[in-house]
Amino acid sequence: MKSRKLLWLGILLPVSAAILGACQNLLVPKYMGRVIEGAFIREYYEETEPHDVIFLGDCEAYENVSPIVLWREYGITSFIRGSAQQLIPQSYYLLEDTLTYETPAVVVLSVSAMQQYEQDNETYNRMTLDGMRWSASKVNAIRESMTEDEHMIEYVFPILRFHSRWRELEEDDFTYFLERREVTHSGYYMRADIRPAGEFPAERRRSTYAFDDRAWAYLDKIRLLCREKGITLILMKAPSLYPAWHEQWDQQIRDYAKEHQLLYVNCIDRSEDIGIDFTVDTYDGGLHMNVYGAEKTARYLGKILAELPAAKDRREADGGGPVNRVWEEKCRFYDQMKAAQEAEFEELGYLRQFAEEPAD
Amino acid sequence: MFLVSYEFPAFLMALLVLYYLIPGRFQWMLLLAASCVFYAQGGVFYLIYPMVTTMTTWLLAVAMGNMTDRSRAWVRENNPGREEKKEHNRQVKRRQRRLMTLGLLLNFGILAVLKYFHFFLDNVNALLGFMGAEGEFVCGNWILPLGISYYTFQSMGYLMDVYYRKYDPERNPARFALFVSFFPQLVAGPISRYDQMRDQLYTSRRFSARSVRYGAVRMLWGYFKKLVIADRLGPAVVMIISSPEIYDGVYVLWGMIGYTVWMYADFAGGMDIVLGAAQMFGIRLPENFERPFFSKSLGQFWRRWHMSLMLWLREYIFYPASTSRFSAKTAKLAAKFLGRKAGGKIPVYIATMTVWLTAGIWHGASWNFVVWGLANGTVLLISQELTGWYRKFGEFCPFSRTRWYEVFQILRTCILFAWLEMFEYYPFRTVFAMSKSLFTSLGTPRTGDGRFEALGLMGADLGILAAGIVFMAAVSALQRRESVRDRLERRPVLVQYGVVFGLFLLVLVTGVYGHGYDVSQFIYNQF
Repeated sequence: MKSRKLLWLGILLPVSAAILGACQNLLVPKYMGRVIEGAFIREYYEETEPHDVIFLGDCEAYENVSPIVLWREYGITSFIRGSAQQLIPQSYYLLEDTLTYETPAVVVLSVSAMQQYEQDNETYNRMTLDGMRWSASKVNAIRESMTEDEHMIEYVFPILRFHSRWRELEEDDFTYFLERREVTHSGYYMRADIRPAGEFPAERRRSTYAFDDRAWAYLDKIRLLCREKGITLILMKAPSLYPAWHEQWDQQIRDYAKEHQLLYVNCIDRSEDIGIDFTVDTYDGGLHMNVYGAEKTARYLGKILAELPAAKDRREADGGGPVNRVWEEKCRFYDQMKAAQEAEFEELGYLRQFAEEPAD
Repeated sequence: MFLVSYEFPAFLMALLVLYYLIPGRFQWMLLLAASCVFYAQGGVFYLIYPMVTTMTTWLLAVAMGNMTDRSRAWVRENNPGREEKKEHNRQVKRRQRRLMTLGLLLNFGILAVLKYFHFFLDNVNALLGFMGAEGEFVCGNWILPLGISYYTFQSMGYLMDVYYRKYDPERNPARFALFVSFFPQLVAGPISRYDQMRDQLYTSRRFSARSVRYGAVRMLWGYFKKLVIADRLGPAVVMIISSPEIYDGVYVLWGMIGYTVWMYADFAGGMDIVLGAAQMFGIRLPENFERPFFSKSLGQFWRRWHMSLMLWLREYIFYPASTSRFSAKTAKLAAKFLGRKAGGKIPVYIATMTVWLTAGIWHGASWNFVVWGLANGTVLLISQELTGWYRKFGEFCPFSRTRWYEVFQILRTCILFAWLEMFEYYPFRTVFAMSKSLFTSLGTPRTGDGRFEALGLMGADLGILAAGIVFMAAVSALQRRESVRDRLERRPVLVQYGVVFGLFLLVLVTGVYGHGYDVSQFIYNQF
């Protein structure tokens, strides 16, 4: 009798777990439609070859530099571990996570996230954290950035958070139930549409321009971790017109870089050298670069990276090896998407996937 | 920590493991410690209130018990005559009454100050304003300790039982503290009697898979009622009843029925969670609901809804009030003018209205609740007076002996209860205005005028809600002859597992909870 019960238990428990897992898979957002930002972080784990450079940061990291150009023109392999409104502590834990898989020669940190320490929107947390593989780093990242209403258990079992999506399930939820498609190019979010920079509302005055002490503490942790692992850390401010990157903020980063002998690249100041033309190189009126601006920025950064002693041109070193094969495939995918977006933009004047209301 | 929180099931599971691992003699101590931890989650400071109630009640009950013991010893030793013994007992009783009154005044005083002082002050200010006085009394805001009405009533019931010598007082203060603070029932009842709980709380227990299984299933059923039905329905009902100027006509009917179903699913769901949690420790708490919506009269309804409170009111208010000197004197006086038959009814009238006034005040510090209580009392007394007429009607009309008449009685009772509930959320005048609009502006709710859409109950949600209510009613109907859990227990393992896992999935996916969810508090926690 007892053994029969145990047998039933042995059968029913895995079946229940499988059903629960299936429900969870169905209900979690797939980020395969208009909003794809939540799918970026997990793509890193699909990578098969190591990277020379890892970019960390928020949208300024994943929209403003094209890793494909770094490869094509300098033979540098890179990946962007960035997501929407990614906080500095999250970047730190993503770096920790990355270091369990590989040790890059260079880490480029986008510093725009220094202006915000606490997450004000749970959605951004989910976009960054749900894609991370489970590790101590993920647990710490969640603990550090959870908003007041969030619970750790909702990260462990995302069905608890997303259960109410049963009423809004879409075709994508079934299509990508088991497997997601690739949406980035080594973490880069491609946009080939153009919206020239226009007028911006005046920036509101701030009561203080000092970055939060906790943000500084995590910047220190990133710096120390890089030093410990022999990684060159570069601080970067991406080219953008809005929101304003205040002179007071810039000064603090300059001082920090100077104090710790770090390279700080402020692309706003170097826009002319980079060749940014805000009438054609941005897709959202100067907030972020489109693919043309991202390629120019990558070209400029590539020069700097190539001069570093740690940098290597992998194209030659690898010969026709696996690195070249992987990157050839990435280039093919990149070119294909770019051509498709360019054609669509030329035809419609916008990109369907990212339009507010899906066009018929 | 709330019953609907991620922490509660985790807390319960950890406690269960520990409870069945430790030696039996320590089990009740673990429950006491867990109860303190549970209550202190709302703030350690708030532990003071139940501690004061526990200590004062325990001390006074022990003092009364000692008096009784000494009195019995004196009688044994001195073997007094009948009159001497009567006089001795009278003196002891008088001293004990003083102690009981002290306990009642102190503990009901704490409850009155914390729960009703603002209401009292508002009325004083209104009265002064009416008399033309300027300025008003103000008082800071106090936070009401969770479950104060429940543990105060339970403790005071114990004190009165000791006074009436229904049982001996508990000599161990820690054991008594567990009776007052047993965590599942601390914040929403049921209000238990010490003699029901004594043998259960302190007994050592070995692990029983059946108790744990039964308890877990009952909790799951409670979560279904609370999260799938009550919390889905609640916001729509609040919207209807808080805007009587917008939601008139047929919406009044919807509000009435919705409010009643909401209250039931919320409160009975909470009770299922409480009773299920206690059952996992092998402790059977008294039931608070017995299929009230199948009652054929309002009196029957109130014997099956919030049963532990009604029992408390009957034992400690109705009986003492109906046998009080005041009732007797009033009855005598009434008999003089109205005749012996009518005079004889006066004690019941007085006791009934006192019970319902107390029930109204217990439910909340507002005139709405007072009126609600008195309205219920009045309807019950009228029903009682019409009993003879009903009997005659039954003899005369064959329809009254059919099944359909029973259905009619059940529906009538439900509608009457729902209508009387309106006094809880509308002022007296509005109840009648809304009732009138029910007949004058009755029509089907139109989609498109924005009123129905604003309720937030469209499409799938409405379907889930309707199916959930039908399911809840079906289970309730099935419970008539035998517990659904017992029926399920006889089915093959696969069926049992399928049903329970299906229910779990239903709650997990369609339950209203999680991030952004703010209706998780049980309505009855506020009392």
